[in-house]
Amino acid sequence: MGLPGEGVLQGLAVTARTMTRRADTRQYPDVPPDLPPRSRGVIALREENCTVCMLCARECPDWCIYIESHKEEVAVPGAARPRQQNALDRFAIDFSLCMYCGICIEVCPFDALFWSPEFEYAEYDLRDLLHEQGRLGEWMATVPPPPAHDPRGEPAKEEAAARRPAPGAAGGGA
Amino acid sequence: MTSADWLLAALGTVAVAAGHRVVATDRLVRAGLHLVLCLGAVAGMYLVLTAEFLAWVQVLIYVGAVVVLLLFAVMLTRAPVGAAADLDRPGWTAPLVGGAAGLGLAALLVDAYRWTAVAPAAPGTPEALGAAVFRSWVLPFEVVSVLLLAALVGAIVVSRPGGRR
Amino acid sequence: MSLAELGLRVALVVVAFLTLPLVVGQAEHKVMAHMQGRLGPMYAGGFHGWAQLLADGVKFAQKEDLIPRGADGPVFRLAPAVALLPYLVVLLVIPLGPGDLVAQPLDAGLFFALAVLGVGVVSLLMAAWASANKYSLLGGLRGAAQLLGYELPLVLSAASVAMAAGTLSLPGIVAAWRPWWLLWQLPALLVFFTAALAEIRRPPFDMPIADSELVFGYLTEYTGLRFALFLLAEYVGIVVVAALTTVLFLGGWKGPFADASLGWLWTLLKVFAVSFAVIWLRVATPRLREDQLQRLCWQALVPVALGQLVLTAAVVTAT
Repeated sequence: MGLPGEGVLQGLAVTARTMTRRADTRQYPDVPPDLPPRSRGVIALREENCTVCMLCARECPDWCIYIESHKEEVAVPGAARPRQQNALDRFAIDFSLCMYCGICIEVCPFDALFWSPEFEYAEYDLRDLLHEQGRLGEWMATVPPPPAHDPRGEPAKEEAAARRPAPGAAGGGA
Repeated sequence: MTSADWLLAALGTVAVAAGHRVVATDRLVRAGLHLVLCLGAVAGMYLVLTAEFLAWVQVLIYVGAVVVLLLFAVMLTRAPVGAAADLDRPGWTAPLVGGAAGLGLAALLVDAYRWTAVAPAAPGTPEALGAAVFRSWVLPFEVVSVLLLAALVGAIVVSRPGGRR
Repeated sequence: MSLAELGLRVALVVVAFLTLPLVVGQAEHKVMAHMQGRLGPMYAGGFHGWAQLLADGVKFAQKEDLIPRGADGPVFRLAPAVALLPYLVVLLVIPLGPGDLVAQPLDAGLFFALAVLGVGVVSLLMAAWASANKYSLLGGLRGAAQLLGYELPLVLSAASVAMAAGTLSLPGIVAAWRPWWLLWQLPALLVFFTAALAEIRRPPFDMPIADSELVFGYLTEYTGLRFALFLLAEYVGIVVVAALTTVLFLGGWKGPFADASLGWLWTLLKVFAVSFAVIWLRVATPRLREDQLQRLCWQALVPVALGQLVLTAAVVTAT
């Protein structure tokens, strides 16, 4: 330490400098926040894509996804037997339990679950945080388009596969 | 009686009543607070007697410092907030001695002055007081300061860790 | 001075007593927020939260008036009033402008102000003791030790100015003040300001209420209006200390021009500038430890104040 009171003067200088700058505060209810891309607000469901594979419900660490379904027989013309297909009856996520880990969205093989940045769904009753199918479907409208691909990043798997010459074309038939 | 007399009488009553509470109360800290009231009333009496400077000195030194020091010391002890049973000793000697001393002094004063009117002293302005202390009474003043200095040095020596070496 | 005029003067002082602390309190809200990169209150009253303190007052008035069962009731109830009253009385003798712009000119005004300020300690001890709470008691002990210690440099540095001006009257000191005193009395100014900060227990000298150690010190048990009165006392304290600093060291109503007509404005501007410094120091400095507090007082402030006294005496006798 140098002179006595040097630290105090430094503190005064820092606070004075901060005072002349604009505050970073955003007045939230008046001014909507601009959230970063891929914000995790709420989980949206695209019902048509769900095949009731139950992967999401099984991977969920705190078991907050409820799925109910029944089997339907679909008669396919020309087939020997009618096929069996799962039909979704209920899909619900309890956001009072959800810890926003996003594992369900990662594991869904059919792109039925998405992150939406909406976060204003607080409720007065804890039980109202259980979002049923219809509510989860409504969130789909708020899902942003996926961010553009990084031009210097690795190409997507599908693109790489499409660029690779087809095995049949190269071999010329064995 | 003039209004100054009435004021003096009222302040005197407050001072005496507060002084009585100081010794009669069974709560230690309340005794200190009553002492504040008592000394404040005395300061008010100085004010009525036009000893303005002395009144403020009384407030600054006695109310602001001495009583605070007293209360500070009381708080360092294990004194309870509520009433303390062992604070009051019943007895008739203390009122007797106190009353006799007070009445005796009063009688002495009354006898000394009888009905002679005494001209009021000049107002105790800081200027007059300074002139008195530093012109006529400078030697006693210096002696008192040396005494205080000795007391301070003595206090430091006594309270030093390790004692006398 | 007729009775009606005296009444008017006292009424004006009461108005100042009720409005200036609110202005300082609101300034503290906003200045502190911006110094910390925040905005502070923004909604109460519409424009930048100007009515926040009024809203706080309404909130305090609604709260339940609690007195702990073990507390010493009358003393507990009296303490906020004792905290507030000395400051109101001190405001009476502070000159706003030249001539007659002072509520009650006193021959020994400086001494009066210092004496009455000292009475404030009693309220602290009353609150601390009557609460029947360990934290309150510890806060009271710290407060008493701090206020006793810092009263000495406060009085010594004020005495230096009185010596330089040759009078104890506050208007007299301002009249005798010259701009070069800023340099001559600079050590006394610093000592007085620091000691006064400690006297009103503002950060960095808020050991008695240190909320991270003692909950809230001697105010722990206070709620509602009584707590609001203590808060008000703190802000009036800032105003009084700023006004005393202005009058003693910064030349009071003396400004760059038009002292006679605009004197009150210069005084108010200086008071607000010093109040700003008080708030600024609160934001910029951490709380002192108890031993640092005492060391600062006895090893720095008191010697500097004594040195200043010697210097002042030398200059006064030389000229």
